[in-house]
Amino acid sequence: MSEIGRLSVLLAFLCSCFAVVSIAWGLRTGMAGPLKSGRRAVWMVCGLTLLAIIVLERALIARDFSFRYVAEHTSLDLPPMYAFSSLWAGQEGSLLLWLFVLSAYGAAFLWSYRKRLDPFYDAVAMVVAGVMVFFTSLLTFVSPPFRILATPPADGNGLNPLLQDPGMMIHPPILYTGYVGFIIPFAFGIAVLLMNRTGTRWIEEVRRWTLFCWMFLGFGVLLGARWAYVELGWGGYWGWDPVENASLMPWLVGTAFLHSVMVEQRRGMMKTWNVALIVLTFELSIFGTFLTRSGVLTSVHSFTESNIGPWFLGFILISSTIATALILYRKALLESENRLDAVVSREGSFLFNNVLFLALTFATFLGTTFPVLSEAVTGAKISVSAPFFNRVNVPIALALLLLTGAGPVLSWKRVTASVLKRNFLIPVFVGVLATLVGLPFGLHGVYPIVCVFGAAFVIATIVMEFARGIQARKDVAEARGAMAVVSLVEKNKRRYGGYIVHFGMVMIFVGVLGSSVFQKEAHGPLLPGESLALGPYSLKLRGVENKPVANAQHTRAILDVSRGDKYLGPAYPAKAMYFKSQQPMTEIALRQTPAEDLYLILGGVNEDGSASIQAYINPLVSLIWVGGIVMVLGTLIALADRMRLKREEKLGA
Amino acid sequence: MGSRIRLIAVSLAVIGSVAYLILSGVKQTGLHYMTVTELARAQSPPEEGGFRLDGRVAIGTVQYDQKAPQLLFQMTDGKEMIGVVYPGLMPDAFGGGREVVVEGTFDPRARTLHATKLVTKCPSKYEAEGLGKDKT
Repeated sequence: MSEIGRLSVLLAFLCSCFAVVSIAWGLRTGMAGPLKSGRRAVWMVCGLTLLAIIVLERALIARDFSFRYVAEHTSLDLPPMYAFSSLWAGQEGSLLLWLFVLSAYGAAFLWSYRKRLDPFYDAVAMVVAGVMVFFTSLLTFVSPPFRILATPPADGNGLNPLLQDPGMMIHPPILYTGYVGFIIPFAFGIAVLLMNRTGTRWIEEVRRWTLFCWMFLGFGVLLGARWAYVELGWGGYWGWDPVENASLMPWLVGTAFLHSVMVEQRRGMMKTWNVALIVLTFELSIFGTFLTRSGVLTSVHSFTESNIGPWFLGFILISSTIATALILYRKALLESENRLDAVVSREGSFLFNNVLFLALTFATFLGTTFPVLSEAVTGAKISVSAPFFNRVNVPIALALLLLTGAGPVLSWKRVTASVLKRNFLIPVFVGVLATLVGLPFGLHGVYPIVCVFGAAFVIATIVMEFARGIQARKDVAEARGAMAVVSLVEKNKRRYGGYIVHFGMVMIFVGVLGSSVFQKEAHGPLLPGESLALGPYSLKLRGVENKPVANAQHTRAILDVSRGDKYLGPAYPAKAMYFKSQQPMTEIALRQTPAEDLYLILGGVNEDGSASIQAYINPLVSLIWVGGIVMVLGTLIALADRMRLKREEKLGA
Repeated sequence: MGSRIRLIAVSLAVIGSVAYLILSGVKQTGLHYMTVTELARAQSPPEEGGFRLDGRVAIGTVQYDQKAPQLLFQMTDGKEMIGVVYPGLMPDAFGGGREVVVEGTFDPRARTLHATKLVTKCPSKYEAEGLGKDKT
């Protein structure tokens, strides 16, 4: 079986090389034949990679320990679903998944444009194939997944207990769907430069692809945060860890692009900037893969260290050099059609949005790589951690929050004083009101106040925009209540989908504010019968018990949780000892409500029979997860908007 | 043209404040990133600012008071040792011989690092170890 896997990876490598050469030849000579066979080769890569994955999955599920990868990452006592997900537990399997997602994007791209006989799309396919060459060559020559052991062991090493979590089953594939998807916008950008493409149709196409993978990336980042929250057991969800930062950076630049691309569509401005943003987003997603794989920086999420770091760096260097050279070479194509009329205008707000998103990215990049950079520059290694990121990124993020409210209600070109008054008076009033209401509840400090003001301000502008939209349309206004909102959203899915995304983001801001500023903590050893008080909660230890669960032994404390006088039921924070690795794992107990989470950790059981308990109240955390779902829904609505694409088509651009 | 100048002025103001945030952030929250040997052998370790050390937990030095909670251990890079005090729960993967990263303040007289953050690197057990050679 392993020969089939190895052969299909090798053939995928040859097919991607062939695709690049054949399409390049076809584009040069104008012959249809080579273009067609090049496209077919991209399809072949997709099929071959799928075959390779099936071979590896079959071995993983059957625990065929003659495969080195299977012996390294699974064991006989591993539940089958985690055997399935251990495909992405190690480097070779992760790379194979990367390649598969990449080739699936390639195939999806070819399928979407199968009826268009325009060499421009072949050029896009050629760029995708070029990236495929890189990944297939890694899998063929540097990090082969189908190595066979001379003497297969009786049992494998087992899967890292941290990865034995349902969240970890779906987090990497979703994150990859986001990361890898930026290949398509990147390929479009490069193809535009290569083919000297004019017109705006491609911009709308790129916007849709970007929106799609941006949604997955954002969702993947939040799933990672959720996994850290329930599985790492330190009471938080985000620690500005290099791997977290790595996934955040392409999301930030992608967000900047999704905004500035509107300026290009509407006013024909910021063309160079937009192409540069696409390239940067893609390079950052490769950089993210590099960070998680290279072991250059210490991280709690990095599960593999390896020698493929330099390959990734080399790829980033080469691809960004080519992109930069092309941008410079095609300067004329990217000439702006308009000038900025006024700073206070929709364009102006998009510009600042971009500056701020890039500032966030830059600060995050700098902080993440600071030890390496400072050593290179000054010779002394300096490292920064969470306090640095909070200090720098929180004010920038808050400025962005305010802009989220202001930007969409500023008009294009220039804004008159009466428009300002009409659009801002009520939201500012609502913001001030929310702040005043918050003060008696312990709201204090500049940033929290700005955050509460900003959140209320943004929500007020969104509500006003909906209300105004309903009033302006007679047919919509005739419907009642919720139906009016639904039919309004249907009229302009892109615009109102965008507002829904903004609303989800505001929820995340409020959730982060609540859980970071208003977190409460208590800890202590408890003997059976003793209680720990935390805010309105009382945690009474009933006892400690041992319980075997699947492939681990759980030691768990039974806590009777009450809030005020009301008994809420038992909670079971535990320590799991995995048989295979003999490594203890904290299994937290979590009581979630919309207002707050009660987060319980068992530190361990002491000799005198007492249990060390650490407890947190994390207010409003649930808003972060719900906000993420709202953002996904808003994005889906915006994606459903095909109007603009049709209009561009009619214009024959 | 007026708006162009205004745009540049506002952009410069934004970029300036971000630069200020970054510089002051590094200055006030930057940690001296050293090896155990560098810190132990330093004649006069930097007086200000925090430290970040990478190294291994010396085997047989871990003292854990779970009730407090407080964790005491010696950190080593194979040549020198530095004591670490961490007032928190022992991380899951922690143990003698494990690779750890600690951040905190250094007390040069007691040669002890008062850690505020302790991260255990994931054990390399899950990587290729002890599986023998590939079939060729």
